[in-house]
Amino acid sequence: MKRDISDKLCCFPRNKFGKILGYENNDLVMPNKIIEMGLLPQTVFKVLYQAPFSGPLYIEFGDEKSRIALREEEARFIIVESLT
Amino acid sequence: MNTSNKQILLVGNPNVGKSTVFNFLCGKKQKTGNYAGVTVASHSGGYEYKGERVEVIDLPGSYSIYPSSEDEAIFSKYLIDEQNNYSGVVYILEALSIKRGLLLFQQIQDLGIPIILVVNQIDQAQRRGITIDIAQLSKELNVTVLQANAKLNQGIEELRDEIHKQSFTKSETVSFDIPTEHRGLVFKILQETKEENQYKVWTLLSSDTYLGKLETVSEQMNNYEVKCLVPKRLQTQETIRRYQEIDKIIGKVISKKPQFKELLTEKLDKVLVHQFWGYVIFGFVLLFIFQSVFFLAEYPMNWISDFFLWLSGFVNAQLPAGPVNSLLANGIIPGVGGIVVFAPQIGILLYFLYLLEDSGYMSRVIFLMDRFLRPFGLNGKSIVPLVSGTACAIPAIMSTRNIENVKERLITILVTPFMTCSARLPVYSIIIGLIIPNKFFIGISYKALALMAMYFLGFFTSLMASLILKKIIKSKGTSFLVMDLPSYKMPLFGYDFKIVLGKVWEFITGAGKIIFLFSIVIWFFSYIGPKQNPKDFVATDVKLENSYLAKMGKSIEPAIAPLGYDWKMGVGILTSFVAREVFVGTMSTLYSLDEEAPEGTIIDKMRSDVKPNGEKVFSFATGISILFFYAFAMQCVSTLAVVYRETKSWKWTMAQLFGMSGLAYVASLFVYQILK
Repeated sequence: MKRDISDKLCCFPRNKFGKILGYENNDLVMPNKIIEMGLLPQTVFKVLYQAPFSGPLYIEFGDEKSRIALREEEARFIIVESLT
Repeated sequence: MNTSNKQILLVGNPNVGKSTVFNFLCGKKQKTGNYAGVTVASHSGGYEYKGERVEVIDLPGSYSIYPSSEDEAIFSKYLIDEQNNYSGVVYILEALSIKRGLLLFQQIQDLGIPIILVVNQIDQAQRRGITIDIAQLSKELNVTVLQANAKLNQGIEELRDEIHKQSFTKSETVSFDIPTEHRGLVFKILQETKEENQYKVWTLLSSDTYLGKLETVSEQMNNYEVKCLVPKRLQTQETIRRYQEIDKIIGKVISKKPQFKELLTEKLDKVLVHQFWGYVIFGFVLLFIFQSVFFLAEYPMNWISDFFLWLSGFVNAQLPAGPVNSLLANGIIPGVGGIVVFAPQIGILLYFLYLLEDSGYMSRVIFLMDRFLRPFGLNGKSIVPLVSGTACAIPAIMSTRNIENVKERLITILVTPFMTCSARLPVYSIIIGLIIPNKFFIGISYKALALMAMYFLGFFTSLMASLILKKIIKSKGTSFLVMDLPSYKMPLFGYDFKIVLGKVWEFITGAGKIIFLFSIVIWFFSYIGPKQNPKDFVATDVKLENSYLAKMGKSIEPAIAPLGYDWKMGVGILTSFVAREVFVGTMSTLYSLDEEAPEGTIIDKMRSDVKPNGEKVFSFATGISILFFYAFAMQCVSTLAVVYRETKSWKWTMAQLFGMSGLAYVASLFVYQILK
């Protein structure tokens, strides 16, 4: 199935709830740290802020409301769906 | 009393309060990381409890046993290599992010390392309506679990007691279920080696870089078709499987009230990472720090300088005239005093930087700056070394260890010494004092503006150098930024103050020792000169102009005259090769020795000094030339040593030394020739 670009974390609208479905990581270029930090499939998240000029994203996720910063390039590996 | 020794490791994710636990555990008996000597641990300390001496090593924080940065590599290597040398691991978990913390916990447990679990910051979890069933957690994980609120010194005594009772548990089974498709290989290796731990074999298959000493296994590795394995894929598999198991545990031990209270962190971040206000605030924070460095430090600096002036006069009056009097009053005291006077400025700067780091604000700065530093081949994380480079390049270079990308880390290491470090302050302060008029521009002094310009010059140069290095250095690995944004914490004001005092003392004794030595050498060569009487071996108590020191300085004049310097400055530049601040000590000594100069403070003497042709020694052109020289020249042996240790490359260390010194010479030559 061909996915629409809006289904990636990098382009997800701000302050809306979404859920991680999986990763687009066929060439294994995605840093493992993303998974280690807890951005796992089925995790619910929200993009809170973004630094100017397409800077890093500020994401809150999971039951513990963990907060991490992620660049758009890394967020592009993560396939998500909207919950609203 | 029967004292025995025990060594324990303090381990956990970054920002879980390890330093706080460490601080309370070790009390006053800690020694803070001595940057010159530390290779593995950031801190080590110790305490005594019930007749037992316990050494605590605070390892850098990590999220997983598989390293993605130098810091984490150091962590994993130490944990695995030294397994036989420590009694156990005290694992600190933050109550608010138990899930993430348990990943690394279980990896360590599966390696068969004895462990105690401490759940820290219970209060924060309670405020959010989260209850943790500690007894259940202990049962699920088969480990001793303690609760703590380290900030209030709660749970520390219990921890000491459990460490004393040796309550570390070593897991006999491996909780991680090795995927079926790889089980065959793992068991095959196990059978043929002496290794008993199947998870150890697994980590060997699933790590690209060698994790510590697993020799019993690694020797057998080549015999198997392991090449078709993709370590990264195995790691991903492991992480996802582990989190699934952790989710089950979390479900059993955590209960949550539905209401959710917004914490201070969430409110603060609305402003602090704001697209506009975030930068304005960061600008003000920096401005406030630099202002404090100059205005707050002014009073103690005056006291110190008055004290040394008094001491020098006192010694001069009390001792009979002669070599000893001259050595003490004109050599050592002014030389050492010239450096001690800058201790308050360095202390204040370092203190603020520690507070920012502790509070959690620094990671917001990384978030804000990443986009702007990337075009220069740097990473958002480079902002920490760059800003702390304004205090001292040595800890700044050490702090690059958390930059994952090798190229970005190397560039950061190479350009950090361009930042205006505190050792340059003494030089800048004196020269600016000499050449910049005491005038004000809309209430801001010209001198303060000049100093600010020097800070900008340093920052600008490091960016430009990065840009050039980005083109030169070959890229290794991909650049990425995945970073935790921890909740804000009240900084450890007292703890940081203690660390700063230690650092300032290190600066005084470190630089002081060198200056003490140089003062004696300089005084000695200024006291003797070529013989005037055929019977003598040398002439003593000569005029400064006739001394050997003047001869040496004059011999390098052809090289430095085009930059506008006289022989005294030549001596200063030569001696300050060891450390920049030595320049000021040398100048103080030289001008104190010069009896030809009129009475007055050293600054006055410097101001009125003239070259043989009647030109002022410290003219505007020479002054600017010196400022540029010290802005660019490497001139710090300790930094060079650290650069070599961190890069493990003579090529880059030498390139940095000659590149910076060359730039310094050319730039000084250029500005002097234009301005003179």
